[in-house]
Amino acid sequence: MLRNAIVSSCSLLSKNNSQILKSIGVFGVNNQQKREQKTMPVVGKDSVENLPGSAFGWKQSNWADWTVARLDDVLNWGRKGSLWPLTFGLACCAVEMMHIAAPRYDMDRYGVVFRASPRQADVIIVAGTLTNKMAPALRKVYDQMPEPRWVISMGSCANGGGYYHYSYSVVRGCDRIIPVDIYVPGCPPTAEALLYGILQLQKKVKRMKTLQMWYRK
Amino acid sequence: MARYFGIDKIGKLFSYIQQNGGIRNTLWKMYRMDEGKAGTLIGTDKYGNKYYEDPTQFYGRNRWVEYVEHRNLEYDGSQIPAEWFGWMHYKTDLPPHRDGNRKHYKWMADHSENLSGTTDSYMPYSTTRPKVEAWDPKKSTAQ
Repeated sequence: MLRNAIVSSCSLLSKNNSQILKSIGVFGVNNQQKREQKTMPVVGKDSVENLPGSAFGWKQSNWADWTVARLDDVLNWGRKGSLWPLTFGLACCAVEMMHIAAPRYDMDRYGVVFRASPRQADVIIVAGTLTNKMAPALRKVYDQMPEPRWVISMGSCANGGGYYHYSYSVVRGCDRIIPVDIYVPGCPPTAEALLYGILQLQKKVKRMKTLQMWYRK
Repeated sequence: MARYFGIDKIGKLFSYIQQNGGIRNTLWKMYRMDEGKAGTLIGTDKYGNKYYEDPTQFYGRNRWVEYVEHRNLEYDGSQIPAEWFGWMHYKTDLPPHRDGNRKHYKWMADHSENLSGTTDSYMPYSTTRPKVEAWDPKKSTAQ
């Protein structure tokens, strides 16, 4: 299977680095590995899953690494608990984006609150077809957002053009304009799917190594 | 009358704490899943996730899953196997162990959780030559 073809090259790198590596592309890595028919990872006593809270584990080699990892934990906890998306509704996906704000899905319980200003937003949800005319506006809005910033591409139009892929006036995926963290499939995705995407983004934020990378440098 | 003013909720709180097995367990549960409510256990899937129901809650909140203990906070909606998905999403009221009409074939694949973000995640790559050539600023423009 393809999904396992790249594992071995990434095993030496940290989780974050392997993410970047994979997003760049997997050229010339064909160390084939057999896919095992286990569905859930086997959990040992000391595995990360068994330990509360931290995505980095608790076994750092020295106290400085340990402290920096804990500081990162605190930072990530704060960041993932208050992801403020920018309302960037372009088409029918925006209706589903409204639904997750409404009481039934209630994104506020995850600390996700819509923010109308890009300068105060953490994440931009590109909801709908991105046309050529809208693309510079999207880029400008994205550039105004402060770091760290994330992008959720919502729906097949934003992911890759979708239904309008062969249109003369549509950008074939918003990742041609801005770097995307989470792709939410669907046409339009249900509010549930988008909420799941936000939870996935929270997972990704939890693995961020801001201070650890700073310390390593 | 007590119900009108919502005083029965206090009794409910105590019954939750009792069903969870003490204040400590209730607080742990609230830490883990942001909710301390208790219900009737409907079933357990093969991974150990427990499925609960409480008909007094309103629709949409009356069925929930408590993920297996060792996952801790690393649980995810995709860990619910396909058999229980329908029950969780109100497609059916019959949980899989009580529904005799479910098909079980040898060729049915095992459930797999969402592997995005892990080393096992699927990453497609193209084997054809790209149609668009990216501009390389370091390369000289002169032929």
